[in-house]
Amino acid sequence: MQLNRGELGSELNSEINITPLVDVVLVLLIIFMVVVPLLMQGYNVDIPRASAGAAPSQAIETQLVLSIEPTACSILEPPAGDGLPADCRVTLNDEKVPATELSARVAQALSDRPAEQRVLFLAADDRLNYEGVLRVIDLASSGVEDLKIEFVAAQ
Amino acid sequence: MRLGESAKLQSAINITPLVDVVLVLLIIFMVMAPEMRKGPDVNLPNTVKPNEQGDERGRILVSIDDSGRLYINDQQVAAEQFGDALRAAVGTDTDPKVVLRADARLNFQQVKETMIAIEEAGFSGVGLIANRAGAPGQ
Repeated sequence: MQLNRGELGSELNSEINITPLVDVVLVLLIIFMVVVPLLMQGYNVDIPRASAGAAPSQAIETQLVLSIEPTACSILEPPAGDGLPADCRVTLNDEKVPATELSARVAQALSDRPAEQRVLFLAADDRLNYEGVLRVIDLASSGVEDLKIEFVAAQ
Repeated sequence: MRLGESAKLQSAINITPLVDVVLVLLIIFMVMAPEMRKGPDVNLPNTVKPNEQGDERGRILVSIDDSGRLYINDQQVAAEQFGDALRAAVGTDTDPKVVLRADARLNFQQVKETMIAIEEAGFSGVGLIANRAGAPGQ
């Protein structure tokens, strides 16, 4: 009889009850399925109102201005692949910088400033392709946290 | 012994139909989720590291398709009525946020003009929506 009871006990313990596990996992899955496609990703930018003579948020001397010229960075058409053309150069405060160094240069210029003064002023030529401009923004903002981007008129 | 055994067999709930039903529901949600997205189909730009812009519910979605047509949420609007339509789209929202879904093939000028129109309608700041490179987008 004791042997029988032992057998019975081991039989009951042999199966793990997976029902709560399955329940929880499926509910989590449904939540992710519904929420994830509705989330969006992008870049927060500001563009000062042309009317009312809106003052820039920083004095001219302290502004970090990034200019993108179609002559130095050929992004008039959507750039191929995931990056920018290899020879793309942009102008950071009157200095020509290869796009590959842009992230480090912006980080170097802005990382020691307080968070509310981390503003990058972006002067992009009207003829440039939008995706190209967004990829430059992506590079510039990747090195600095809480970077504000403000568009200014291209010279 | 036989009686005890049969009682033991019936004590476990058969979860197979439950799992079946839940999986079918899951597949329905998977298929329906892209349809729930607001706005027209836009070929969003691909970038490496876009920041989170939150849930699209509670945001005003402005879209520009590849031929430059403007949309507010699902509705196409003429450029002349854009400002009024945008203010009308705010409704009762006290802190409206505008996001701009612009097609990757557009010129920067077209996007800039729309951004200026959004600012002139009284909103400060726009979220430029991008697609993370490598992620399945639309």
